[in-house]
Amino acid sequence: MNTEPTQPDESAQRAEPAASPPPSDGALLSAQNITKVFGGLVAVEDVTFEVPERGIVSIIGPNGAGKTTFFNMLTGLYKPTYGRIRFAGRNVTGRRPDLIMKDGMARTFQNIRLFGTMTALENVMVGQNARMRAGLFGSIFRVPRVKREEKTVEEKARETLAYAGIAESQFDQMSVNLSYGDQRRLEIARALASEPKLLLLDEPTAGMNPQESAALTDFMRKVRDERGLTILLIEHDMQVIMEVSEYITVLDHGQKIAEGTPEEVRTNERVVEAYLGKQGEKEAAEGAARRESGRGDQV
Amino acid sequence: MEASTEAARLPVRTNTWDRVRGYIGEYGLIALLLVMPVVYGIQDLSDDGSLARLGNNVVDGLSNGAIWALVALGYTLVYGIIELINFAHGEVFMIGSLVTAGFIGTLGLTTATGTPGLVLGLLVTLLLAMIASGALNVMIERVGYRPLRSAPKLAPLITAVGFSFILQNVGILWIGGSPEGIPDLINAQKELFSIGGVSISQGDVLAVAATIPLVLLLTTFISQSRLGRAMRATAQDPEAARLMGINVDTTISLTFLLGGIMAGAAGLIYALYQTTIWYFQGFQAGLIAFTAAVMGGIGNLKGAVLGGFIIGIIQQISDNRIGGEWTPAIVFSYLVLIMVFRPSGLLGEETREAG
Amino acid sequence: MTKTVASLRQSGLRTDTRTLLALAVGLVVTLWMAGEIEMNLFMAFVLWVLVAVRTVFHENRAVLVGTLVALAVWAVVLPFFQDSGGGFLEDATQALALTVMALGLNIIVGFAGLLDLGYVAFYALGALTAGWFMSGFFVGAGGGEGFSLLVGEPASTLPGIHFNFLLVILIAVVITTIAGMLIGLPTLRLRGDYIAIVTLAFGEIVGRLVINGDEIVIAGEKITNGRQGITPIDKVDLPFLEPFTGLELRPWYWVALALVAVVLFVNYRLRDSRLGRAWIALREDEVAAASMGVPLVKTKLLAYGTGAAFGGVAGVFLGSYLNTVNADQFQFSFSIFVLAMVILGGLGSIEGVILGAVVLSFINFNLIPDVFNDYPSKVGLDFDLTELSFGIFGFLLVIMMVLRPEGLIPERRRQLELTEGVGAGDTALGGGESIQEVRA
Repeated sequence: MNTEPTQPDESAQRAEPAASPPPSDGALLSAQNITKVFGGLVAVEDVTFEVPERGIVSIIGPNGAGKTTFFNMLTGLYKPTYGRIRFAGRNVTGRRPDLIMKDGMARTFQNIRLFGTMTALENVMVGQNARMRAGLFGSIFRVPRVKREEKTVEEKARETLAYAGIAESQFDQMSVNLSYGDQRRLEIARALASEPKLLLLDEPTAGMNPQESAALTDFMRKVRDERGLTILLIEHDMQVIMEVSEYITVLDHGQKIAEGTPEEVRTNERVVEAYLGKQGEKEAAEGAARRESGRGDQV
Repeated sequence: MEASTEAARLPVRTNTWDRVRGYIGEYGLIALLLVMPVVYGIQDLSDDGSLARLGNNVVDGLSNGAIWALVALGYTLVYGIIELINFAHGEVFMIGSLVTAGFIGTLGLTTATGTPGLVLGLLVTLLLAMIASGALNVMIERVGYRPLRSAPKLAPLITAVGFSFILQNVGILWIGGSPEGIPDLINAQKELFSIGGVSISQGDVLAVAATIPLVLLLTTFISQSRLGRAMRATAQDPEAARLMGINVDTTISLTFLLGGIMAGAAGLIYALYQTTIWYFQGFQAGLIAFTAAVMGGIGNLKGAVLGGFIIGIIQQISDNRIGGEWTPAIVFSYLVLIMVFRPSGLLGEETREAG
Repeated sequence: MTKTVASLRQSGLRTDTRTLLALAVGLVVTLWMAGEIEMNLFMAFVLWVLVAVRTVFHENRAVLVGTLVALAVWAVVLPFFQDSGGGFLEDATQALALTVMALGLNIIVGFAGLLDLGYVAFYALGALTAGWFMSGFFVGAGGGEGFSLLVGEPASTLPGIHFNFLLVILIAVVITTIAGMLIGLPTLRLRGDYIAIVTLAFGEIVGRLVINGDEIVIAGEKITNGRQGITPIDKVDLPFLEPFTGLELRPWYWVALALVAVVLFVNYRLRDSRLGRAWIALREDEVAAASMGVPLVKTKLLAYGTGAAFGGVAGVFLGSYLNTVNADQFQFSFSIFVLAMVILGGLGSIEGVILGAVVLSFINFNLIPDVFNDYPSKVGLDFDLTELSFGIFGFLLVIMMVLRPEGLIPERRRQLELTEGVGAGDTALGGGESIQEVRA
């Protein structure tokens, strides 16, 4: 374990660290100069940020840093006051959320937002809404095409639920009645059902114990590898972050204060100052060490 | 790279419809509300050479509007704290009027009673009407809404409707199915003075002079007193309020009490001003007052008062110029337009989900 | 005996004392009620049997399906046991028409969660369509000779426009669907209770238009007959059959039943479809729904349109059935009446809504006027209960809601089961907040 103290990079003092990669055309998602102003409050200020394909990228920062607001802008729930967002080759700034979802961006929520009176299965079937074509009259008369589609969608939903680790006995349970862990898994399954290109997870391990968090990080990697997904993650759990992220962006008070590989971010003084603190740094070092000793995947 | 950064710094081009709606929301609404007065004002100037007719419309509108404002306050208070439309509130107002009429009879107040006796008698009646309506409202909450706190959100709506019907029936049993006249104790139509041809009657003065202090008292109470703070806290976040040691149940009852008191006062003013009472007046008033509260931004006290006055004026102008049968349609059309361009009401606040 | 009961209990049947007692009481009440509303006692007994079987064998799928089929047959056969000109069929037909409306409102309020307080507007438009195309209202049509389409004697010879009943239903569906979407349009960005007031406003506006329609003249004809209403309306005239009359109520009943069947069919199909799920997702959490690809505007408008269409259909039927279309029928209290049926029955629950509609309809049109008013004199009191009909109805509403707020047959009964169970206490379901700026 190399604990050679790295000199804080001069560049880390600046708001825009020199380590930001140039925006490439190969990026799946690219957000430029995103700013969001609510009345008098600047929630997000001039954040530029990229997500390459098949990567796992994390956004971290203290509470109130603007992370979820940023997510909401990416998914179309808020319109940025300034800036531009490009996803999968098209400009999606200010696009309707259901259309962005159709383009291939799916998400989970910080406070679980499942459809309470629907079963787990139905929740996941709604997740595929954008991929279905059944209309009003087709549904009423249940034409063969619609019948087939329903069947396919249901099968896919079962498959996805199982993939996400939910027991079959829970499929027809009301989603309010599932255990907390299952609810989180259900939310992810619902997002996965639409076969997105980019999966946004907002604090997916909140409320989980270390074993569950580890299982989730394994799952994230599995999903990334097996389904060719890109994952964008908001997280507070430093171990998870350090273990699973390939690239990290740090926000504080709505601004980007650092970005880079986990190693770079961990040792960035501004980040440490704003957020990690002594305990966090220790955890980060432990997480990084575990990665280096071979537990992690490709670095 | 530099060029694209520059381009990206430009504000996102909002689509035209949103921009148009923004402008209309800001200024167009004011213009919309002024359309009727302005048009008829011009017509008056050309017809009569003075704005007296319009002025009378406005004055009468404000007097009626004052009554609606008081009732609207009750709706908005209750909605603000438990997000429920108290459909029985109009009937609470009606009962206030009936109590007024009944007590006036009991006290033996007539047009012949001397002024000091009249004033005293009316003050006592006012107190009684307010207490009766306040208590009634609290009882309705206790019996019909509290047990349904954890029920589906729409369930209390039906209990409210049920109470509305029950109270209307009480009204029928009390004074019969047709409108009843009551003695014109304050000589409501008598002109007190006139400004530039606009006649201000004693009834007008009563309506406005009674309403304004009540509204001020209420707003002061809510913003300054400890109980008022409790109300506002509960309205914002009942769970947090409970954790802070606020007795949420009592606070809610208090809110209903205040709303009922306002409705009771409105009932008295209505009875004296219109000199008629009717079991169905609550239903109509309730609809108008509820519309006023929504128009102003439900949950917002000033908005309720503003809404009340605006509707009062629209009603008067419409009754006077277009015809009473069309008035409800016009009032509601205004409401729809306001909702389209200002979805949270004239003074309503938009809440945002914390980032 | 106890061994049999024990083995029955083990097989998943509900044979506990409480249920049996309830069923016994139910039998007495059913027979007594049936007597009061003039229902044939044998049929009432059969109904009770079906309900009892369903209750006892409540987990058996075959029994479930069987009793439903039996219930359908029972409904079809019922008129044969009733006096064709009698009060029961009269009330039953009206109840069925109101059931159609309740099912329509259930789509808007129950499925999609859009609080519509102006449903009367769709009833009015449907009835008005009947008034326009099934009466002598437009005297100038066809140059004073009348303009008819697919109707037999005597309607085809009369002045006015006389279209076939089924054709008029089609026209009404088109009109009300468009109206529903237009009414829904301003509500798209509004929070729940604001939707209530805007829809209420439209309900009132339409009602006012009907009252004052005699002042509005389009193409030389006024659009309504004002306070006098449009009357008479053609009786239903189906192909191969004689036109209905006002004395023989059985055909009316069957037509109404057929309408209910069609509407029911559409409801069930939609509920278990992509659109139905989209509606419920919308109701549960609009923001999450949008994020999951549900197009908010389209989904909401479809809810309004479909719900409105049902109202229009019922409106045409009632227009013909009641033989008149006038403004007294189109008051705000009607919207509340239909809403009460939906909420009382169980928001979103198709079976519940049917029950709620039938129950409230009978209470309002039969029980209170005919039944309760007779009681005082039966007990020897000189007391006119007609004066209390309002209050009694209101009282019943309050009682029913306080005792059973989730509705008579709640949607998703399973929801009630796990109130104390695992996970139910510590869920972190957010749900309620809305992001105000969410664009549809």
